[in-house]
Amino acid sequence: MGICLKRRIEIGILYSRSGSYQLVSDACRIGAMRAIADINADRSSGIELVPVERDPQSNADRYATLCEDIFRTSSARHVVGCVTSWSRKETIPVLEKAGGMLWYACPYEGFEANEHVVYMHACPNQHLVPLMAHVVPRFGANGFLLGSNYIWGWEMNRVARDLIADAGGKVLGERYLRIGETDVSRLIAEIRATRPNFILNNLIGTSSYAFLAAYRDLGHEDAAFSPETCPVISCNLTEGELPAIGESGKGHLSVGPYFAPRPAAFASSFEASAYASVQVMADVLSSNPEAGPAEFSRAFAERRFSTRLGPIAIDAHSQHATLPVIIGRIADGFFEVVSREDEVAPDPYLSRYDPAKTFGRPRLRVVS
Amino acid sequence: MTRAPRIPNLGGAKAFILHRPHPTVQAITRQLSAIGLITLDCWPELPPEALAADFVFFDADLGFDEQFPWKPGEAPMPLVALIGSEAPGRIEWALSHKADAQLLKPVGNAGVYSALLIARQSFEARKHLASEIASLRQRVAERQTIVRAVTALAKGTDDGRAYAQLRSLAMSWQISVEDAARRIVAMTSEEATGEEGGDDQSHRA
Repeated sequence: MGICLKRRIEIGILYSRSGSYQLVSDACRIGAMRAIADINADRSSGIELVPVERDPQSNADRYATLCEDIFRTSSARHVVGCVTSWSRKETIPVLEKAGGMLWYACPYEGFEANEHVVYMHACPNQHLVPLMAHVVPRFGANGFLLGSNYIWGWEMNRVARDLIADAGGKVLGERYLRIGETDVSRLIAEIRATRPNFILNNLIGTSSYAFLAAYRDLGHEDAAFSPETCPVISCNLTEGELPAIGESGKGHLSVGPYFAPRPAAFASSFEASAYASVQVMADVLSSNPEAGPAEFSRAFAERRFSTRLGPIAIDAHSQHATLPVIIGRIADGFFEVVSREDEVAPDPYLSRYDPAKTFGRPRLRVVS
Repeated sequence: MTRAPRIPNLGGAKAFILHRPHPTVQAITRQLSAIGLITLDCWPELPPEALAADFVFFDADLGFDEQFPWKPGEAPMPLVALIGSEAPGRIEWALSHKADAQLLKPVGNAGVYSALLIARQSFEARKHLASEIASLRQRVAERQTIVRAVTALAKGTDDGRAYAQLRSLAMSWQISVEDAARRIVAMTSEEATGEEGGDDQSHRA
């Protein structure tokens, strides 16, 4: 038996180890690190991945400089990282300059397709559109929109406004909180006053936990605000945050490409998606360690990739992954699967969105 | 409650790229396909089908008037100029075609989506303004008719009251003041013709 000499390839890891969205960041990081360890332990793989890690500490301004630092001080050209869209957009100019690639393992608001980014988690036709299509016929079309004050919340709520209008509903309120803000009393008062059919929650991290806790208290005072009558629906809530949310999450809905079965291979879709990112990256790099955006684009056009998430196709034009769409209801520390659709092709610009297909024909109103 | 106009869905829209074979065309095509548009590239001439296109991207560096099946400035769809050299003469030429948005070459990984939205919006605004100006022009051209109608209604008395009467007639007929004036002028000149040989009071100042 000969000695198996693995080729060492450095890859960047750019996840915050502290800050208000640390739980999500940690989940992604765990997924990426597990994949690296598994690939390195795999004797049949010809490469050894060496992580080059930087910690932006949840400060959006540090992502670009630290990404630049990875490219300057190591041979890494691929980075797994970024949680917020804000940080992703900050990083893109650095990627373009260095010819690098970012593997982005979080759901995002769509309307982007950069050659230097591989979008490995859901975009709106894989989260918000199916979630609204599920919620409107069951709860009603009048929504209250919440968000943290940056691009994810703004853009998600913009799409939601259009969807609600198409469903024949009304936007009863739209409110934003600074990232990390936990005073939600005004939101709760407005929701109580406007009595929506559902609440779209695009708050992140601690703001989201504070809101869910306060909303649970509201539900105790007024049964109209229970998850059975007026659910809080999210496109980025996973198992990773359930310990922080506790009892107050129960019954509310989220959508994602993966919810952890019990026992589970991965603790959340963030972890699963970061793991799959490293797998797909390693798959191409093992046959061509120098591969950059052009080579990856060709590989995406030519074939599918087997990952721990199942076989994954990546659209060569938009570099977004084809993913399952699963709607889950929060139970005791896990998500019950409410519905599942496999292999939903990405449509980041919602150019194939059809209101009639999503919401059916507009309901006829009774004229007396 | 009025809502701001929503971002249009561009899926299935057709875009022509009038540019010689070049990496620029690939970069634009990649972005257009990701957004969901159908893309056709051509050089040196736009084919007849281009008349039905939703967008036309054209090369400002090597372009010339004869490439287009319309007169400069009269494109029936939004145009996006692809500008490489910023030579003043070339910019002047691109302006003569009333490009609604521009992209600087080399085209990178972004820019096409905002160019589409801006081009579409400014094209619509320009079309709307042009039709508004045409209708205002037409109304201005009716100044003389209004004067004649007011004179006819005043019959030598109060002009102010005659104008108010004209306006209230226009309102009750649900037509513009200009159209009402034309109607009144026609009616008075009919009366005048009827009374031919008589004392033509309606034309008296």
